[in-house]
Amino acid sequence: MSGDGSKGSSEDGGWRERGGATLDRLVDASAAERVAISLGSLVFALVVGAVLVFVSGFVAECSSPFIYLPGLGYGCYNPLEMYWTILDGAFGSFTDLGQTLLQTTLLLFTGLSVAVAFRAGLFNIGTQGQMVLGALATAMTVLTVGEFVPDTLLGSLVVIPVGIVVGGFVGGVWGMIPGLMKAYANAHEVITTIMLNFVAAGVAYWLVQVHIGDLASDSVQTEPIPGVARLPASIDGSRFSLIALVGALAIAIGIALLYSRTVIGYDLRTSGIQEAAAEYGGVDARRNVVTSMTLSGVLGGIAGAIYVTMVQYRWQAGIPPLGFDGIAVSILAGNNPIGVIPAALLFGTLKTGSVAVDISLGIPNELVEVLRGLIILFIAMPEFFRLLGKHYGFGSEPVATDGGERR
Amino acid sequence: MNAPTVTRRQGLAIGAGLLGVLVLGLVVDGGRQFVGEIAGVISVSYLGSALRFTVPIAFAAMGGIFAEKSGVINIGLEGLLIVGAFSSIATMYALGSESVPIEPNPWLALLGAIFASTLIALLFAIVCIEFKADQIIAGLAVWLIALGAAPFLSVVIWNRRSSPGNVGTFSSISIPGLSALPGVGQIFEVSPQVLLLLVAVPVSWYLLNRTTFGMWLEASGEDPKSLDTAGVDVRKVRYAGVLLSGVYCGIGGAGWALNVGQFTGTGDTMIDGRGWIGLTAYLIGNYNPIGAFLASFLFAALDALQIELQQIAAYDISSTLVGIIPYVAVLVVLTFVGRTRMPSAAGEHYDSDE
Repeated sequence: MSGDGSKGSSEDGGWRERGGATLDRLVDASAAERVAISLGSLVFALVVGAVLVFVSGFVAECSSPFIYLPGLGYGCYNPLEMYWTILDGAFGSFTDLGQTLLQTTLLLFTGLSVAVAFRAGLFNIGTQGQMVLGALATAMTVLTVGEFVPDTLLGSLVVIPVGIVVGGFVGGVWGMIPGLMKAYANAHEVITTIMLNFVAAGVAYWLVQVHIGDLASDSVQTEPIPGVARLPASIDGSRFSLIALVGALAIAIGIALLYSRTVIGYDLRTSGIQEAAAEYGGVDARRNVVTSMTLSGVLGGIAGAIYVTMVQYRWQAGIPPLGFDGIAVSILAGNNPIGVIPAALLFGTLKTGSVAVDISLGIPNELVEVLRGLIILFIAMPEFFRLLGKHYGFGSEPVATDGGERR
Repeated sequence: MNAPTVTRRQGLAIGAGLLGVLVLGLVVDGGRQFVGEIAGVISVSYLGSALRFTVPIAFAAMGGIFAEKSGVINIGLEGLLIVGAFSSIATMYALGSESVPIEPNPWLALLGAIFASTLIALLFAIVCIEFKADQIIAGLAVWLIALGAAPFLSVVIWNRRSSPGNVGTFSSISIPGLSALPGVGQIFEVSPQVLLLLVAVPVSWYLLNRTTFGMWLEASGEDPKSLDTAGVDVRKVRYAGVLLSGVYCGIGGAGWALNVGQFTGTGDTMIDGRGWIGLTAYLIGNYNPIGAFLASFLFAALDALQIELQQIAAYDISSTLVGIIPYVAVLVVLTFVGRTRMPSAAGEHYDSDE
């Protein structure tokens, strides 16, 4: 039979039911199993990444290869040295630590954004677009408001929160669109959010290039935001701001409490997972779909706001793919708001460490993007780990093929 | 079959196209003489470039149809196109035709692309069919892996995210006799990838609608149980469907890259969302290769039009704004058509032993 909670007539809501089936499975899996699958996926992704790096080392050219294999030639990249360099590059000095925490902070916001949607049974692939527009809104807001406030701490206390609120608002509106389309037109949010990413990038680029950007500059960018709107750096040599990290952690805990302790959180979760049951219990599932996507968009927008006020100090075309990294962070965390914290730290480490890898070993830091995809791929197939577990005798079912003989 | 749905969808698609032209008209400086200018742009050479623009979108769309008809939703089309584009250029480079393209090389590059893209599709198929992965998340992973791996390998090989210079392209094929005709002769000078596309569309339609294999695909996506009962291995049919999507995307990606002669790995790579447009093109075309081709052509023609219009210096057109028209059109179509009639069992796993 066709598996995973197919409920007969998937006539016109196939994709919707698919989302539901996925969530059923994710919720059914026990917490311990989920942690095991996440860790297993991570290990496998790192191993496959190591193999990819090792093999591509034979294609690359370098002055001092680390290995010679007859028939293959000289290999340039040592995977073990690479992972060591990642760790060293991410934590080796205070500046490195600052960079790692800076990335972690941004990934916390985008990871939480994706997790909030996922918790409600929705795939938000659109965090990137919400972030791009949120960032632009924040940049324009602090550029405008910054002119009217004194260049003091008091000014910062006004201009930064206002900028973040506007960024979150615009991100929320952008997240609400696919929510409305899903709830009232049954348009699948995977497709709509991806499309809206392209639209967001195009609209923002056009606005900045033609209308509101720094028209004197050759680059597509806005004017730099005033000092009063910049989050104060906490570590020398890095723009990392402890305030942003603390805020991100507070939001993570807040969302965890929202889901575990409040009726609203319960409704949001059940609307996505058990739509029919939620409706039966008197919950407006459609409205909750819109609410979840909007909340997800708000967090994406705030990620953009933090990016502008803490990292770039202006809006510039080519915002890094933090929204897509957020997908990996959330999936690795099992979509648990608290789990997002270590997952974001892991990706922050990879991102910062990969820069060192690029500089000192010549291994392209695009590798992190490959690892991001690999982690998602492995987590997508829990069955792989169940089979593996069974094969090595961890499963509850007896192994039929080898006559009970265990290794 | 359900004719009203098709008509409505196609009506909307045409409407979206016209809307796009209208938006273009507004973007263009006041819109004056706009219609005249568009008429001036539409020529034989414009048609040719529009068809070349259609290649990656339509091949991705047709590949997506084969996979989804068999019951496996492949949203990794964009990634497969990226793999195709990159590996064709890498093959060209390995063959050493940096300056002077040697005639068989583009064809070998095409084969290289098909091989690489099908290999990734095989991986995706194994993950989805053997390990029962969630197809949406696995497809997303294919996209993200390709989005990272192609620039990664590009840096390994060329020390930068894009291939250096022009490694050679397909040269166009002239159809003897017809291409010498005055005025319209240009139509009969086509690039091989366009020719492949024009052949692939009817062939795909025939495969899906008039062959046993097509029937199996349909059954595998609609009612795998009865296909199984009839003694056909559902797994094999699904593998075939997904692998075909790899073959098609290999051709599409290579066709696009061998048109430019270069791989660009910056930003969203040179594929730049064409796989996603392809995905929506087959939704608009209601899983029909011909409909998908027409939808792809509509978006590609719009893209080509914008580039042609930019060359008319009097008009200050923002290419980025025009570039988002297909996405907006897709959003409009999804909102107002919404319920796409997808294969009933698409996205579901099938175990024959139950």
